Amino acid sequence: MKTLFRNSLKTGIVFGIITVFLFLIGFTGTAANLLADLLHNESAGLFLGLTPLMLNTAIFLGLIGLWAGVSGASREQDIPGDPFGAAALGGAIAGVAHGLPVGAAVWLIGGLNEQGVAMSTYLAELLPAAVHQFLLGLAPMTAGIFYLLFLTTAGAAGGLLNRVLGRGSRKTRAAIRNRLRESVESLPVLQSLRKSTAGRYAVYGVLLAGLLLLPLVAGQYWNYTIGTVGIYVLLGLGLNIVVGLAGLLDLGYVAFFAIGAYAMALLTAPTPHHLMWNFWLVIPIGIVLAAVTGILLGAPVLRMRGDYLAIVTLGFGEIIRILSKSDDLSDFTGGPRGVPAVAPPDFFGLPINNAIGFVYLIFLAVLLVIFVTNRLQNSRVGRAWEAMREDETVSRAMGINTLLQKLLAFAIGAAFAGLGGALFASRNQFTGPEDFNLMVSINVVAVVIVGGMGSIPGVIAGALVLKGLPEMLRQLEDYRVMVFGALLVVMMLWRPAGLIPSSRRKMEIGRDAGLVETAEEGRGK
Amino acid sequence: MTVALETRGLTKTFGGLTAVNAVDLSIQEHSIFSVIGPNGSGKTTFYNCITGFYEPDSGEILFFEKPMTGLPPDQVTARGISRTYQNIRLFANMSAIENILVGEHSRMRANWFEAILLTPRVVREEKAAVEKARQLLSFVGLAGLGDQQARNLPYGAQRRLEIARALASQPTMLLLDEPTAGMNPNETHEMTLFIRRLRDELGITIMLIEHDMRVVMGISERIAVLDYGAKIAEGTPAEIQGNPHVIEAYLGSGAASGIKPVARQLE
Repeated sequence: MKTLFRNSLKTGIVFGIITVFLFLIGFTGTAANLLADLLHNESAGLFLGLTPLMLNTAIFLGLIGLWAGVSGASREQDIPGDPFGAAALGGAIAGVAHGLPVGAAVWLIGGLNEQGVAMSTYLAELLPAAVHQFLLGLAPMTAGIFYLLFLTTAGAAGGLLNRVLGRGSRKTRAAIRNRLRESVESLPVLQSLRKSTAGRYAVYGVLLAGLLLLPLVAGQYWNYTIGTVGIYVLLGLGLNIVVGLAGLLDLGYVAFFAIGAYAMALLTAPTPHHLMWNFWLVIPIGIVLAAVTGILLGAPVLRMRGDYLAIVTLGFGEIIRILSKSDDLSDFTGGPRGVPAVAPPDFFGLPINNAIGFVYLIFLAVLLVIFVTNRLQNSRVGRAWEAMREDETVSRAMGINTLLQKLLAFAIGAAFAGLGGALFASRNQFTGPEDFNLMVSINVVAVVIVGGMGSIPGVIAGALVLKGLPEMLRQLEDYRVMVFGALLVVMMLWRPAGLIPSSRRKMEIGRDAGLVETAEEGRGK
Repeated sequence: MTVALETRGLTKTFGGLTAVNAVDLSIQEHSIFSVIGPNGSGKTTFYNCITGFYEPDSGEILFFEKPMTGLPPDQVTARGISRTYQNIRLFANMSAIENILVGEHSRMRANWFEAILLTPRVVREEKAAVEKARQLLSFVGLAGLGDQQARNLPYGAQRRLEIARALASQPTMLLLDEPTAGMNPNETHEMTLFIRRLRDELGITIMLIEHDMRVVMGISERIAVLDYGAKIAEGTPAEIQGNPHVIEAYLGSGAASGIKPVARQLE
């Protein structure tokens, strides 16, 4: 019983501190806005005399309280006789420990607010209105007591919920999960889909059809976001070859993106050169230019390993950006003002300048790049890259010309970025130096690492999470960096190998020398 | 009998330290040749010079009478010399069979462009490579473990996988660096038999660095002894066992005179 108290207490206190912190930085208000948008429960609060935002603040706090109760009770593993009573008690104890600091903070801050102390001088988000909202319009002491009771109740409910969910012990949880997975996997539909080639293609077909229909139903704004995610998938897949497969940490990857974009911009725009070439002609030029730059940069620096390579490439990325910004070169590059009126692609004479057309174009590019990556990864070349990543010295002794293979990886990665850059410039109909700052490189590295190094589905998941999710959570705009950091930390603990880690193909017992097998299948067996 | 590998006055220095000092060796084709010596006597440095990891300061290396001094490691492998490492160095995150396929790299031709197009030739080559990798897996007794990640294999299996990977490049000569390190007597015995099979069944010339004297004396046709980088003795196992220089190198001067009669009695 003693440990039950101690662990629940500890959990409650941690939740209390976090909740107070969230209140102080104004996150509770943002969350209430978000909930209001999601739930559309404007009318529900009126019965209680609450504004919609107050109601949703309370709902948010209630959810946190539930969560505190669930984790507070799950610390206790086996209580003979009365599991529900013990869980409720554990949850309630966590709730009290959660409610005390929150209640105290509410009382204190509410009191100060009533005295007219301008707390927003110290904490920008603590405006009187925000405090008033958090207090649900109650007097400070009443609100404090309300939160204590509310969170205690929520904690107890969370404790019960914990038992209902079967989260009581690790073993039961694992058992339930296994049973679920088995029952899903034994569904005859899935079985036959996995076995027959036709079935597998049917699944791909459905997915593809979904992808093709998506831009038609998504609005202008979402198509733009999908396009951005797609371009990051292109960049991620390119860097995935360099970092994920060949193990070369390139922090200046944005340079190749910029070269693709500037190739498209300078060759198709009316200023500064008045060349106005055709989009389709410039796409391969952008790709080849980026690849050649990759080789030119790679030749001298690829002898370096690890950190040194990262620093040199970091510098290279900045050099390209600063050159593109330079006033001296502005006759050639457009300088700091960038290049406007980049040409859109045309489709048999019809210009594609709407978001839908571009989404399809980017899909096409992504599919092409996935195809190429997949072929390379499962070939002699891909194995050589992975061997270099694992142990460069030994891979040389295995007969791999490491310098050549590194250059190849660099060039192909750069080519993908060049393609991405060319599409990017054409879609935005503009290109300027500020599109290519260091954060782009860092973001792409994050996409690869968060998604799972060396894994194609991982890169897609990474781009969706890091580029798509922030758009979906527009309300969280101010907290993006915080959430991003928290996400990275959580991910490193929870999935150190990435969201969808690369899986090894089964080859020894595979049919047809394993050539037709895909990674997904290998995992299923 | 032809000479497989020959070194003439091979020397490698690191600053003031002469790690390998004018070593002359010649190894007959299809023989098992051991290099022994106390710790730090330059055995692994000698290997690194032969396999192109280090460029020797002076001296020559001939492989089947063709000079190959200073060739980079990938070219040495292409010529037909393959090696294993003292501390196992597998590609830990790749599967066992992929490790072997990397070993076949120098015997395959597919370039990046063909790989993307997946030309019929590439398909054939890849099929043959996987088939050969499977055969090598069963040759080293790892059949059925091919899809395991290399790092998950037990220690003895990792040693054998490393040899399979070395064999995948179709070497005419194999350099083994302490293949029985860390093994129990039973595993050591199996490894000894296995090394002999490599020579008898595959006709590969074997050079061996080894500390376990039972292994060395049991399977070597000839033995060279290094001490402070220099070769101090060479001969058959029996000759080496009785050589006072060798005993001195291992046990210190002074010991040699006393040990010698004991060593004789042991024989």
